[in-house]
Amino acid sequence: MSGDTNFVLTHLGELEALAEEILTEKQQIVDLDRKRNQSREAVRALKNQTEFPSNQKSKKEVKTWVGFGNTFIKLPAKNVKTMLTEDQKKLDEEINELRNGLKPKVAKLREMEGQEEKKGFDLKAMSRDEMKAVYHPTGFQGNT
Amino acid sequence: MAASTAQKVQEVREVTRIERIGAHSHIRGLGLDDALEARNVSQGMVGQTAARRAAGVILEMIKEGKIAGRAVLIAGQPGTGKTAIAMGMAQALGQDTPFTAIAGSEIFSLEMSKTEALTQAFRRSIGIRIKEETEIIEGEVVEIQIDRPATGTGAKVGKLTLKTTEMETVYDLGTKMIESLTKEKVQAGDIITIDKATGKINKLGRSFTRARDYDAMGPQTKFVQCPEGELQKRKEVVHTVTLHEIDVINSRTQGFLALFSGDTGEIKPEVREQINAKVAEWREEGKADIVPGVLFIDEVHMLDIESFSFLNRALEDDMAPVLIMATNRGITRIRGTSYQSPHGIPLDLLDRLLIISTSTYNEKELKQILNIRCEEEDVEMTDDALTVLTRIGLETSLRYAIQLITAANLVSRKRKGTEVEVDDIRRVYSLFLDESRSTQFLKEYQQDFMFNEVDPAGDNDEEMDT
Repeated sequence: MSGDTNFVLTHLGELEALAEEILTEKQQIVDLDRKRNQSREAVRALKNQTEFPSNQKSKKEVKTWVGFGNTFIKLPAKNVKTMLTEDQKKLDEEINELRNGLKPKVAKLREMEGQEEKKGFDLKAMSRDEMKAVYHPTGFQGNT
Repeated sequence: MAASTAQKVQEVREVTRIERIGAHSHIRGLGLDDALEARNVSQGMVGQTAARRAAGVILEMIKEGKIAGRAVLIAGQPGTGKTAIAMGMAQALGQDTPFTAIAGSEIFSLEMSKTEALTQAFRRSIGIRIKEETEIIEGEVVEIQIDRPATGTGAKVGKLTLKTTEMETVYDLGTKMIESLTKEKVQAGDIITIDKATGKINKLGRSFTRARDYDAMGPQTKFVQCPEGELQKRKEVVHTVTLHEIDVINSRTQGFLALFSGDTGEIKPEVREQINAKVAEWREEGKADIVPGVLFIDEVHMLDIESFSFLNRALEDDMAPVLIMATNRGITRIRGTSYQSPHGIPLDLLDRLLIISTSTYNEKELKQILNIRCEEEDVEMTDDALTVLTRIGLETSLRYAIQLITAANLVSRKRKGTEVEVDDIRRVYSLFLDESRSTQFLKEYQQDFMFNEVDPAGDNDEEMDT
């Protein structure tokens, strides 16, 4: 009897943990995307500032304010830009990783809950060049 | 309230998609229940229970992908529903399985060899399922701001603010994006998606938060929820394309244009070999699934001996579809030879076939079919008229009786009647001859026709043979 309860308890615990993990990851993707969009906006703003300076005395190096937590520092715009673009690259990678991890986790959760496996074709995606060979974006649509 | 109207609009639109009323447009499926037993009248099918059950069994096997490379023959007298059964199978298979229907005489063309036409038909019936992954930006438009240069010419610049339930962000726009946004008539409050790779904009609808009862709006306005989560999403789309479509796109420089013009010409075997190799590679890598479809050849006795031997060979290919054939011939000459064979099909091919046979309809079934056709053609008919028409169908042929429905309807409308009555049927029956009365007429007045060198008392079969 106590063995049974133990089993149920551990099972439910595992289930909860997995579900929690999925939810946090989903939220994390949203947060990362928000960050990505903000840094993209910043890069764009910097670009506008450096390429079309409003005052024409721009022989000097353009400097800009950057906020690190609570402190604001004035840094050369160029350096800030490279920092931000690098950040974006990292963010992209992280989001992709999270997304790739989500599908198997959801499948596992469904299995643990005893639900039917989600119907899918388990296909890997085609690359863009390969898509070009079978599908033409300008007109022909295939049978979607 | 706005939501309910939006839904209603959707429904209406789906109904208004009218299909042409063809000879088999009333067929919606095979009319089988879950245990594969044929219901007597269902989905436009009447009678032929044995044949329909057999077709249902084959259908199940096709769905499980079991009988690729097999062939089925539907044999029966004219007008016993062979094509109807094939149509029913096509309907029941659904969108995802390729179904190609050709008539046996279609392969004889001056521009294309017989084997090429058959190969194309075969490859049209094999689907490849592939997945595409795209990055899209999906959000509700909060604001669009476009700055036009004061001089009137020069590059426009602009800003687009998008939001989801979680976040909001601003995009800088270039000239191209501004153009496509104006072309799509995107405005604040629309939900749009932007394809990241191509920049293609797709309008999904208006946001619910912008829905107002008093707004004057077109019937097409669709309301959707503001999207949740992240702005930049990953979208997966699964396509099913046929091998033939891949062939055409890769065989010419203008590619897909040939699909529309129909001018595909002959496709080089090297191209096909390359594509087969590529598809096999994709399948190994887990990038593609092969969906064996169905190829239906009507009037299969019109094929000649060469085509039959080609079919024999083609069925052994490891990417062969299910072949369904229909014929109304008995024991007859195989085209291109002087040998006789059942159904006009060589014995070696016949040996590979599962044969389903259809039988003639009885009076009750005829009446039901005519009734269904009346509904399909929007004709109101009195019970007596239907009985008379059934009698006509029994004595002449089902097809002739079906032809009379529309003609009788026109006659009854001419006299401003609401229903077709017995008199209308009688009138069209006297106006249009059926096959046997026409033959009778010809026999009587043979002398008055031109070129009547044949002895009227002579054998009619001789002139039929060409």
